[in-house]
Amino acid sequence: MQLKNIKKKMSLATCVLLQAASPSVQAEEAEWDVDTAILFYSESDGRVNAVEPAIYAGRELDDDSRIDLRLIVDVLTGASPNGAHAAPVAQTFTTPSGKSSYTAKAGETPLDDTFLDTRVAFGADWQVGLDRLSRITWGGNISKEYDYLSLGASATYARDFNDRNTTLTTAFAFNNDIIDPEGGIPSIFQPMRTAGSGINREGADDDKSITDFMVGVTQVISRETIMQLNLSFGQTDGYQNDPFKIVTIIDPATGLPATASGSSFFDTATTGNLPYVYESRPDTRDRTVLFFKTVHHLDEDVINFSYRYYDDDWGIKSNTFDLRYRYELGGSYLQPHLRLYTQEAADFYTHNLALGIDVDPTSGAVSQDYASNDYRLAKSETVTVGLKYGVPLANNSEFSIRGEVITQTVDDGSVPEGEEAPDLDAFILQFNYSLIW
Amino acid sequence: MSEISLSKESDCWRGNFTAMASPCEVLMEIDDEDLANRVMETVVDEARRIEAKFSRYLDDNIVSRINLAKGRPVAVDDETARLIDFADQLYQMSDGLFDITSGVLRRVWRFDGSDRVPNQDEIRKVLDLVGWHKVNWQNNRIKLDQGMEIDLGGLGKEYAVDCCVTLVRELTDQSVLINFGGDLATSCERRGGNCWSVGRLVTGSDQSVALFQLYTGAIATSGDANRYLLKNGVRYSHVLNPKTGWSVPDAPHTISVAASTCTEAGMFSTLAMLQGHQAREFLSLQGLKHWVD
Repeated sequence: MQLKNIKKKMSLATCVLLQAASPSVQAEEAEWDVDTAILFYSESDGRVNAVEPAIYAGRELDDDSRIDLRLIVDVLTGASPNGAHAAPVAQTFTTPSGKSSYTAKAGETPLDDTFLDTRVAFGADWQVGLDRLSRITWGGNISKEYDYLSLGASATYARDFNDRNTTLTTAFAFNNDIIDPEGGIPSIFQPMRTAGSGINREGADDDKSITDFMVGVTQVISRETIMQLNLSFGQTDGYQNDPFKIVTIIDPATGLPATASGSSFFDTATTGNLPYVYESRPDTRDRTVLFFKTVHHLDEDVINFSYRYYDDDWGIKSNTFDLRYRYELGGSYLQPHLRLYTQEAADFYTHNLALGIDVDPTSGAVSQDYASNDYRLAKSETVTVGLKYGVPLANNSEFSIRGEVITQTVDDGSVPEGEEAPDLDAFILQFNYSLIW
Repeated sequence: MSEISLSKESDCWRGNFTAMASPCEVLMEIDDEDLANRVMETVVDEARRIEAKFSRYLDDNIVSRINLAKGRPVAVDDETARLIDFADQLYQMSDGLFDITSGVLRRVWRFDGSDRVPNQDEIRKVLDLVGWHKVNWQNNRIKLDQGMEIDLGGLGKEYAVDCCVTLVRELTDQSVLINFGGDLATSCERRGGNCWSVGRLVTGSDQSVALFQLYTGAIATSGDANRYLLKNGVRYSHVLNPKTGWSVPDAPHTISVAASTCTEAGMFSTLAMLQGHQAREFLSLQGLKHWVD
């Protein structure tokens, strides 16, 4: 036998034998497992910056029930692309309130820098054992930001089979979201108007409902390996536009945003109509998600791999590969992380709408049902590379630090040079402290 | 059944009895005599229960049913299953050095201080009956090939100490030390930051020559002064390698290990013994306090 450190394995095996929660913890007092984290997210080129403190706490209530709580706060600042593409001329836009304007220089991706929000989310899960082999988890969540309210509930039933080597899970979740944006809900395909000349809007707020159903199986393959396969179906109904995103109307003769020379409707000086219309997306979205995950324990290290396939009726298909390797360093650990994400564009993703082809020059009517130039609906590839270092501290607590670099490449097809959707680089830094309280 | 005694010391109650072929001692930092009596009864009952259930020297228990099944599978209860699962994990962790089927080697190795070292042929015959990998263990059913045997004695005493500690904690939150033949554990810390002082038996001596000072957790000791063979100047320790069937060369005489539970301490002292001259290095690698002689 090669000499090796088997302390952790031995402690775990002894714990199972003695059926104690933890060797150094007195059994009679249930304790809170608390996980606190603060995450900093920063996009390049002065786009979005976020600070996200979070706290998670869970405890056993008695032998067969437990509760888990989470509170997350997001503070976002910075600027986000407004949907219009970069053009060789300066472009002027109206802020969502309709009261003031901002300008993007020639060749610059138009960013709406009035973007600033704070989100507070709270969730709770209550797991109850039904009998020795099955349990149900009731979940609830609420999330509130300045212009958004989301309420959700879920139920998850899990049952063990085959000497607890197999677990079947089925879950149902429902969410209702209300959006109440600054300036109201813009009318689809109606032009953005110059500051002070009123907003084309169809109401103050709107909502959508999200329903998901999942079935899954978790299988213990061996003492070292566990696998999980989930299949889920979901539907979103209701308002799914981004109220702050617009699409550029170009004059095909010049390739530039339409002006009075090409269209009486987009003669900004006389009509107040800017050559940008509010985007339009379908109000239903059906999706199918397949998720596979495996955790494999080597002698000391742990490999964690997952794959996710996503397909929806907007035409978006995506593949996510995620690999983590936990190197044990005799107590502390180092965990490299690699994630690859590829996505196909939505059917209605478009660089712009062309005057006289897609848009009537006199009435401004758009001939198609849906169009969006939101880069999140474009074909894209994202690579995430990260590293986490964790070190155990006294009294069963642990500190970890994680850094990740995210590189997203957007491929919006054959568009004129200088007008491409910008690629995105982002950086994540997270500090985490977990303890038993 | 041997006698049980309870006496008042200067700062605690002391109970003594015999179980598992070992002198057993219970020290209780308890003022109330009734409570001390109840703790003592609980410990004695639990020790005797575990001995009766798992001793391989008794003919009507789960271990003998498994060993006498003549190749048929035997269903076992949850507690036995947990012990066998644990032994299975120890087998994996130790790359086969800890093996509950290795007891049959004692048919050819008799550690009586003589020079009767078995020859390779004798060893080969019994070695065929050794090997946890040959055992069919699944769904709480165990099946041994005919002639094979299991012996849970290698972990029974330490397991009994931990079970007693768990039961004692339900009775009192005052500190109790349980010591079954040198394998010991505390239920919690003593008052006023005091520790329990426990004598340590060292090879070659009938006297307790050293003292452990134990505040919390457990200590287990492996080794036995009088169990060895001596031939042509070579000392053959009673520690047998189940893969070769031979005595482990250069095994230390005594190893004590401190850990949070007695079972964990005991398993590490046993595994360290099996490492022979690398015992110290093995224990240092685990980051556990240890004493090797």
